[in-house]
Amino acid sequence: MDAIVEMIDVAKEFGRKQAVRSVSLAIARGSAVALLGPNGAGKTTSIAMMLGLLRPTRGQVRLFGGDPGSPRQHVRLGVMLQSVSVPDRLTVAETINLFRGFYPAPLPTERLLSAAGLKDDARTMANRLSGGKMRRLQFALAMAGDPDALFLDEPTVGMDVTSRRQFWDELRGFIASGKTLLLTTHDLQEADMVADRVIVMNEGTIVADAPPERIKMEFGGRQISFAAGAGVDLAQLDRLPYVLSVHTAGRKVTLRTTDSDAVLRRLIQGEWDISDIQVTGAGLEDAFVRLTTEMGEHT
Amino acid sequence: MKAMFSQWKAELLRTARDRRFFLLTLGMPIAFYLIFINQQGGDVKIAGTFWGEYFMVSMAAFGVLGSSVNTFGVRLAAERKSGWVRFLRTTPLSSVGYALAKTFTQLTLSLFIVIVIFAVAHFSQNVDLAPVRWLEILAWLWLGSLPFAALGVLIGMAGSAAQVLGTLVYLVFSMLGGLMTPVQVLPKTMQQIARWMPTYHFARPAWNLLANRSVQWSDVAILLAYALLFIALAALVQRRVDSRPE
Repeated sequence: MDAIVEMIDVAKEFGRKQAVRSVSLAIARGSAVALLGPNGAGKTTSIAMMLGLLRPTRGQVRLFGGDPGSPRQHVRLGVMLQSVSVPDRLTVAETINLFRGFYPAPLPTERLLSAAGLKDDARTMANRLSGGKMRRLQFALAMAGDPDALFLDEPTVGMDVTSRRQFWDELRGFIASGKTLLLTTHDLQEADMVADRVIVMNEGTIVADAPPERIKMEFGGRQISFAAGAGVDLAQLDRLPYVLSVHTAGRKVTLRTTDSDAVLRRLIQGEWDISDIQVTGAGLEDAFVRLTTEMGEHT
Repeated sequence: MKAMFSQWKAELLRTARDRRFFLLTLGMPIAFYLIFINQQGGDVKIAGTFWGEYFMVSMAAFGVLGSSVNTFGVRLAAERKSGWVRFLRTTPLSSVGYALAKTFTQLTLSLFIVIVIFAVAHFSQNVDLAPVRWLEILAWLWLGSLPFAALGVLIGMAGSAAQVLGTLVYLVFSMLGGLMTPVQVLPKTMQQIARWMPTYHFARPAWNLLANRSVQWSDVAILLAYALLFIALAALVQRRVDSRPE
């Protein structure tokens, strides 16, 4: 079994709170996996268990076939965690060199600086970097040991558009060389850019595990919202074709649909008494919650 | 081994850039030494030796204490709070390696502080000891600093209270342990209290060596007991921290 990570019926409880209920998964070498889900879905807790930072309450976790808590298993691994700030009184280059010292065969400092786009900041004190550059430095630290696998927890939070693009370019290069990537995000577009497999988590369990194309189909919906006049029978909206769900708040109606054009045409031609029409792409965070509940019902 | 060396090197580099370390941790014992010696005169006899020598040991111990509970403890607290310690646990640097690297850093700094205080005493008060005596006292103050490194680790777990706690321990331990005012001139109750202070048992063997007396095993035993206590408490706190949600 050539799995980088294996989780077998894993659960994690904090006191009475169940962060992870029952998760079983295997991540194959060379795959690029995105772990998606709303906040509090159990993504970060799962990654923490894969890294040996947390011990599962129940079940088994293996990293490179061994104990994830053992430092030996971390030699071929690069990691970005959330909310980490670097020590004071070290420059960017010194911080990178500190990390290079932890690994048997590190990448050259110059290579890491340019991968992270920090060449001009090499002599800046690392803890004075802006949020986005700090994140890039952490990417350089993750790459320091020339890892076979990268685990990135919400890697692009705080990065600007240019940084992001460079970051994804680097990551694509990394995957193309046959290495393994696991990242958590709540941004579907990010997942779509690099992942060949998307695992959706909600309330501590896996609710979907499929290639991104399939997940996108489940999601492809748009939202139409409008104010309905007094004469509109709200119950009829549900029966319109292409409508997935109807949400009403007073006279304010929000429809989720697979074909917004068709629904709009019908609404207009049917001379429905509606005003204030807006069409938007479904919010990803919301859509995820909806997707997860729907898929939970289907399976 | 290489990972520990990398960590040790970075820690020393950070300390070398730490103005607080030089101004307070190293500056205060030097300043106190120069001030208190001039008030009393270095030739006053005390505890079988001279004030200039006696207080040199006091201030070396004071410096080592400061570096452990103040600089080291506070820095550790900051590293834990910033998530850095957690992040390091995802690298091949083991927790043991990290602890050892930190300990070696503290030992290096203790050695540096003690030697600087010795140099100040030597050049300002012409304190002169037999080479063997210098080395004995240096070796004792160096190794005896280990329990205080453990105390620093414990203080480092106090989170945002570490700064206050560190300063408090710094002052209380140095005053009650007889580092500021010699135990002999303190009231009886204070003398009783001093006997329970790790700082007292840290400095006393060195004072004894100055007076040509030998190191007493009771001092070593009490220091060891303190070291074990600090380590046990730190392990206990660590376990509680680990079981908290992220």
